[in-house]
Amino acid sequence: MATTTATITIASTDLLSDELALTSTATLTLAGNSTGVTQASGLSRKTIVGDPAKPQIIYRAGDYTTGGANKVYIKNTSTTAAEFFTVQIDQEVVGRLYAGDWMFMPWIATSGTKETFIVSATGTVAAGDSWDFDGVTTVSADANLNNFAAAVNAKTYPNWTTTVSSAAVTFTARYAGAAGVVTGNTAITGDTVTDLADSNFTMPITSGAAGTRSESDISMLPSVVTAMTYETMLIHE
Amino acid sequence: MATTTAAVTLTSDLLSDNMSVSASTTCMKAGTTADGLDQMEYVLVEIPTGDEYDLIATTPTASKGSKLYVKNHSTDETYYIAITQNSQAIGRLYAGDWMFIPADFHDAAGDIAITSVGGTNKIEYALFHEGTVLSAT
Repeated sequence: MATTTATITIASTDLLSDELALTSTATLTLAGNSTGVTQASGLSRKTIVGDPAKPQIIYRAGDYTTGGANKVYIKNTSTTAAEFFTVQIDQEVVGRLYAGDWMFMPWIATSGTKETFIVSATGTVAAGDSWDFDGVTTVSADANLNNFAAAVNAKTYPNWTTTVSSAAVTFTARYAGAAGVVTGNTAITGDTVTDLADSNFTMPITSGAAGTRSESDISMLPSVVTAMTYETMLIHE
Repeated sequence: MATTTAAVTLTSDLLSDNMSVSASTTCMKAGTTADGLDQMEYVLVEIPTGDEYDLIATTPTASKGSKLYVKNHSTDETYYIAITQNSQAIGRLYAGDWMFIPADFHDAAGDIAITSVGGTNKIEYALFHEGTVLSAT
């Protein structure tokens, strides 16, 4: 079993009448038991140059276990006093990391739900017919609906993952959120069918469910437009 | 000027290479590099299960350089405290866990609140700040 520890030392010789020397070490375990944490997104370093009015998401809750014993480490590497990051969880400001400051906090990672829908290859498909969605075009190689569905499933989509069953392909958003691509059984936004032989080939949506946004994505808002650099690490379940 | 330093070391054999991350900061007032935080509260308290409690009795001045340290002294691994800020869930501190965060305290609703789960949790916390808004009696 891996052993991961976090040690903090807070010290001051002149804040109080007596010396302050506080040290604590935590061995990081999974929620509710003594098994050591098993996963980590290793230490990373990133420089932001941009609009200080726009927070940038550094960890998406949907990618991690909700309610686990996740821990987040963030450091502002700046040495300029005026440069700080405002750290937010969802819409709530946790606080400001000034130059050289670091933080280490637990993270609930409350995720929303991912939008999902099913499209079914219907009618009579012909070689050369195609369907385009999310910027990815699938062209039918033959006149078999199931084969076409399998070809759609075999593609890689930037914003969706897929599974297939016969002629039906299930799309699931990579991130939780109300993307508005589908609401209930209404049509997909942005798909295009090409039916070369005019043989009534369609890709209708047969079911779907709208998503909801995550409620604890962690974001960082830089205080200036010039380059600011931070380090992060996530230890998670 | 008071000088208070906060240092962290994270170590692990979880990865192929042993990890050891260290950082240290001198706790300064907001936007300065020469004026250290000079006020603090330091408390050890037992929190019974059930209700949610504000951790900070008075509201430190908002958007300053406040730093908050919280440790859960429980030894039962199933016990934890749930941390929220302005009803926003932040995370859970299980037995032995600690956290150290900048605290914004943007208004009275921005207080850090905790709920004890599993049983009575003994909580240690220290707040380093640069002033509070005291409540009138």
